[in-house]
Amino acid sequence: MSGKIYSKPVTFAVMATVAVLVGTAVTMAYPLVRPEMHVKVEGLKPLPALELAGRDVYQREGCVSCHTQTVRPLKSEVVRYLGSRAQEPTARYSLAGEFAYDHPFLWGSKRTGPDLAFEGWIKPSADWQRAHLENPQKLVAKSNMPAYAFLSGEKVDAPAVAASMRALRRVGVPYTDADVTAAGADVAGKTNMDALVAYVLSLGKAVNRGAPGGVDVDLAAANPLGAAVAAVARGKQLWDANGCAACHGDEAHGQDGVAPNLVDEEFLGQKGDLPDAAYFAMIKGGSEVKPALGRPGVADGGMQAFGSDLKDEDIWAIVSFLRNQKGHEATESKAEEAKEHHEAAERRAKDRK
Amino acid sequence: MTDYRYDNRTVQGFILSAIFWGVVGIVVGLLISIQMWAPGANFAPYLTFGRLRPVHTNGLAFGLGVGSIFGLSYWIVMRLCKRPLLFPKLARVQLWLFNAGIALAALSLMAGHTQSLEYAELEWPLDVAIVVLWVMFAVNVFGTIVKRNEEQMYVSLWYIIATVIAVAVLYLVNNLAVPASLTKSYHLFAGVNSANVQWWYGHNAVGFVFTTPILAMFYYFLPKATGLPIFSHRLSIVAFWSLVFAYMWTGAHHLVYTPLPDWLQTLGIVFTVFLIAPSWGSVVNGFYTVGQDWSKMRSSYLTKFFVLGITFYGLQTVQGPTQALRVVSQLIHYTDWVPGHVHMGTMGWVTMTVCASVYYVIPKIYGTEIFSEKIANVHFWLVLVGQLLFSITMWITGIRQGWMWKATDAEGKLVYRNFIDTIAGNYPYWHTRTLAGIVFTVGMLFFVYNVLMTIRKGRALERSEAPAAPAAVTVA
Repeated sequence: MSGKIYSKPVTFAVMATVAVLVGTAVTMAYPLVRPEMHVKVEGLKPLPALELAGRDVYQREGCVSCHTQTVRPLKSEVVRYLGSRAQEPTARYSLAGEFAYDHPFLWGSKRTGPDLAFEGWIKPSADWQRAHLENPQKLVAKSNMPAYAFLSGEKVDAPAVAASMRALRRVGVPYTDADVTAAGADVAGKTNMDALVAYVLSLGKAVNRGAPGGVDVDLAAANPLGAAVAAVARGKQLWDANGCAACHGDEAHGQDGVAPNLVDEEFLGQKGDLPDAAYFAMIKGGSEVKPALGRPGVADGGMQAFGSDLKDEDIWAIVSFLRNQKGHEATESKAEEAKEHHEAAERRAKDRK
Repeated sequence: MTDYRYDNRTVQGFILSAIFWGVVGIVVGLLISIQMWAPGANFAPYLTFGRLRPVHTNGLAFGLGVGSIFGLSYWIVMRLCKRPLLFPKLARVQLWLFNAGIALAALSLMAGHTQSLEYAELEWPLDVAIVVLWVMFAVNVFGTIVKRNEEQMYVSLWYIIATVIAVAVLYLVNNLAVPASLTKSYHLFAGVNSANVQWWYGHNAVGFVFTTPILAMFYYFLPKATGLPIFSHRLSIVAFWSLVFAYMWTGAHHLVYTPLPDWLQTLGIVFTVFLIAPSWGSVVNGFYTVGQDWSKMRSSYLTKFFVLGITFYGLQTVQGPTQALRVVSQLIHYTDWVPGHVHMGTMGWVTMTVCASVYYVIPKIYGTEIFSEKIANVHFWLVLVGQLLFSITMWITGIRQGWMWKATDAEGKLVYRNFIDTIAGNYPYWHTRTLAGIVFTVGMLFFVYNVLMTIRKGRALERSEAPAAPAAVTVA
């Protein structure tokens, strides 16, 4: 560098500008015109009105401060976020083409809570999502997430949703006039909580990441493990390790408004139990199996399929655990049960502290 | 002389404003560090972690960081150009606009108005205000430099010029958005492009707010405080040009293993590793400068601030490129390691250098000495201990949680399938982080007290020296 430029501020400023613009041109500007930066997965649609309102709430509350939205192509990560269930290998992690309408991207930079990119597949229960947002510690005792119960008291701002659609249309999201006109009716009477839940349940759904369907339901099949002590113990272990307790509770008593009790006199919303094989089918295939069991059940199809994560033998072990738990409940006197519940509640309260 | 006096008051106004917003930002930081382990501390919607985190980062980057950059750059520019600012009144207007802007920024973030782009959260009306502020700054800096009374431009001026240019380019592009209302807009870019533009901005906002202007201070105030000339002018030149050239290529290291095309990730990683060289050019220059006479560490209390500051800059610029490597990124990305890394740079390098520069400037304004060297020493040790405790704790918990996320058994099943099991073990570390924050905050309060007492001493001195003169105009 010739010494002269250090006494010529204009020349110096021009050179400094060139120096910063080279990297800018190559790594920021050039990618904007590259085809691989403008891919779109097949059938990608803009978010419907309610989900868009939910995305605005997600942004407003700074959810992106603690939750990422990209599953990286790393083995442990694909397994954790259940991308491993997808039949197409390329659907197992996040794809550029899923985010073509994301203004801005919400991938985040810190995972204080779990990644949410595939949340629509991982926790498809609206009841669970709502209950968790209202009081996270009720469902996950050791969680540090703030409570968002106040969202249930806020109505969705319908004119704002239409304005958002118009603004997004200007940056290239293909909302139609009909979408904009219908936006008000679509969100009428809905709360910000409804909107946020709808948005979260939409995450990852642009790509099919479901487990292979078609679980054969054979209600006559007996549990090969029976009531063996080892099977019950292993079942309990799997129950904890696979997060079953997060919805159905530590002892499978269920949680009000979240997930049903699995050891009472009802199953899938109707009186009367079903054989072990029905439990096996529900764990393996998730809510989709309900009609095949003759019990379409409650509206929320929140049960996820574990068929691709657990071997049949593991699933039977969980059934053994549930059956043992149920037998235990039946023989236990009402008074004992009440005492036990009280103790468990105290334990949870203590955990929270 | 009258002009010089007036400009000094604007400089002091920026410094005091920066200190004020710094205290606000640090207190908010303490609160959100408590919210990490006590969810009950999310007292109201506008005080939840999600809304307060950008108040913390923006308050410190724009309030403390940019405020002190405005003030100290003006001080440096005037001295190196041997003349007052070309537009002193404009600088005064800029000071008031700056404070109004930061106050509105904090309120709007608490109300949940955000673009969800890190360090570019502010919505478009405030973006416009920031552009106006930056133009005012640019006009005064360039105008004064063009009309200077000193032939050669010293290193610090190069870094200030580069800062003005680069921040303008970055800020304008990344904040391109289409408004839906006064408080809501949507990024012009979508998905992978939105991510790529944002991190091109995000990383270089760090580069041209937390690096180049701080280097300008370092190159100016270190020789001033120690009386030692910069070791190598040639090294300054090489380090400057390679730094400003290489920085802009590196943003994609924030997006390793995301859906961003591999070639962009790799390019970002390569330039990030290269960046060690120019960074260490300044580190070596700093060490060899003080190396001309290490006794300055004892005889001049400011020397240790600069030496520790440049040491943390050196550590930061090796740790950063290490993190960019794919094999390291896959372990520590998204964990608490990253806040640990950031806080070494901000609490170590930036705070040490800015505080030392302020300690140098404030007594000079009044032609007096610092109120108490002893308090400055206490301040030094507290922020050093607080910062080390913070960063080291976060690195440990980051690696710990990163391994728990990855741990699989012989069958390939996750050992810690429930995410909460990987969080539960963070709590003791998060408690320690709050403790570290308290130590650091107490240290900074010693600094604030010392600065305010020095100003009080200086004003008393002015009154006794010129009892007949009208009362000095105060800017705070």
